[in-house]
Amino acid sequence: MSIWPEERVIAPGEAEFDTVDMTVNIGPAHPATHGVFRMVLTVDGELVVGCEPYIGYLHRGLEKLSENNDYRQAMGYWDRTDYLAGMACEVAYCMAVEKLGGIEVPERAEYIRVIMAELSRLNSHFMFLGAFGQDVGSFGTTFTWAWRERERIYDLMEEVAGDRMFPTYIRPGGVSMDLPENFEARCRWVLESARKGIDDFDKLLTGNEIFVERCRDLSPITPERAIALGLTGPMIRATGLPWDLRRAEPYSVYPELDFDIPVGLQGDVFDRYWVRLAEMYQSVRIIEQCLDKMPQGLVLNPDLPKTLRIESGECYVRYEGTKGEYGVYGLARGGNKPYRMKLRSPSFCNLSGLQEMVVGTYLADAIIILGSLDIVLGEVDK
Amino acid sequence: MSKKARVTMPYPIGKQVPHSDLRGLVERVLKEVPVEFSENSTDLDVTVQADDLLRFVTGLRDRKELAFDFLRNISGVDFGEEGMALKYNFYSFKYGHALQVTVPLRAAGEPHPVVPSLDSLYPSANWHEREAHEMFGIDFEGHPNLKNLFLEDDLHIHPLLKSHPLQAAEILQGIESGPPGFTF
Repeated sequence: MSIWPEERVIAPGEAEFDTVDMTVNIGPAHPATHGVFRMVLTVDGELVVGCEPYIGYLHRGLEKLSENNDYRQAMGYWDRTDYLAGMACEVAYCMAVEKLGGIEVPERAEYIRVIMAELSRLNSHFMFLGAFGQDVGSFGTTFTWAWRERERIYDLMEEVAGDRMFPTYIRPGGVSMDLPENFEARCRWVLESARKGIDDFDKLLTGNEIFVERCRDLSPITPERAIALGLTGPMIRATGLPWDLRRAEPYSVYPELDFDIPVGLQGDVFDRYWVRLAEMYQSVRIIEQCLDKMPQGLVLNPDLPKTLRIESGECYVRYEGTKGEYGVYGLARGGNKPYRMKLRSPSFCNLSGLQEMVVGTYLADAIIILGSLDIVLGEVDK
Repeated sequence: MSKKARVTMPYPIGKQVPHSDLRGLVERVLKEVPVEFSENSTDLDVTVQADDLLRFVTGLRDRKELAFDFLRNISGVDFGEEGMALKYNFYSFKYGHALQVTVPLRAAGEPHPVVPSLDSLYPSANWHEREAHEMFGIDFEGHPNLKNLFLEDDLHIHPLLKSHPLQAAEILQGIESGPPGFTF
């Protein structure tokens, strides 16, 4: 994709000297691409006139592996998609298996899943704040602040599941074990700390003139265009559309919980940052309500066999992942393995709109726009 | 700038349109296209032949009563001897209803089935179609840039076909020799 010559700042021939377009290769191993992502930019001076993204450096054949492992084994691959929010991916995968097999989930397990998913969202968004702050120029500070909070959340997850990033804690039909004894007190302490952490970021970045001047009015996008490009999650809410799958197509216990959906004004980079920041306060609210409301009882459906066998079934489960609509298309045709499992990953779809967003901006801004997409390459490349 | 100013009213709980209502609506509005209806555990499913796909989807998008403005997913499925299929998932932001469209394709024995591309109607189809092209060998007619997305440019294999063996890529390309694949 490239813009027409007459739209360029200096048209060829008008300049006092001859200019040529240059090709700038960024990635696959570059700190600004947040993983193994490569984009080849064509620049006319500072102006980006063409962008070609290349992905696939982290392709592990998730879908083929899922077809060749049984329902429980495959889960270990799914939490490695969005590796910043492993628990949330497990929940989505298990929801798909439950839809296929018509499996019931105990209410306590639903609450535990919501707590874990929202903790993952906090985790992922803290990562965004840290890395994005670094992209914009707040070198070091945002990253270390984000890491402080993330460590506390990861410690909590380790207490619950025994692992920090890839816990394999969720099961089809519930969760693998009940919460530890002192979980509620520990969780409230972590939430209090997270709330202070979000406040810190708010004070550091939201009113910061350097930050705001770099982000405001950069690559604004209309709701109609966002829908056409397939953007979801914070990207579409930044355009002013209050579309959140937790409300639009509710699942689990979200209808019983009280939370707001933050939206932006014009879909520019600042709004994308703002929506994520405001969303984190809502996640804290959701977890606190879950802790108050959580009933006692079973955490795993006791009627399930050790090896799941599903005769037939088809579903498309949509789940509000941390980056957007995390969709799982599942098809079962007998046996202990799914016939087909397809991931519609939000980062992948958000990234497909990158070309349109960066063409016409400056090279330094292209880095910020990429950062504002909040991609995670495990999920893009599957 | 206060935080509260930007946090808006909660979204009204999405009213779920019953599958039977949506089925009636699609039948009424797009009666010129021959389709078959079925249901799966999440969506209403409409089976459309590949020749009618463009006409049907244009109707889904442009008719005011339907207004399916969002193509959320395209997934290919390989049924081995029985052929292949493409599953399209649509959603309407205006009405909040969702629909799955199934396009059956001819048997996998004949390589490269051809389907019209939806890229001109939905820009979001672009990468999904490239993915289905490289993973299943489905050709999308009218797609502007049907290159490999995940795999290397010169690697013309279709890994998600059921006939594709579980082997290391190097053995498959003939760069290395080794034992014949691995099984789970």
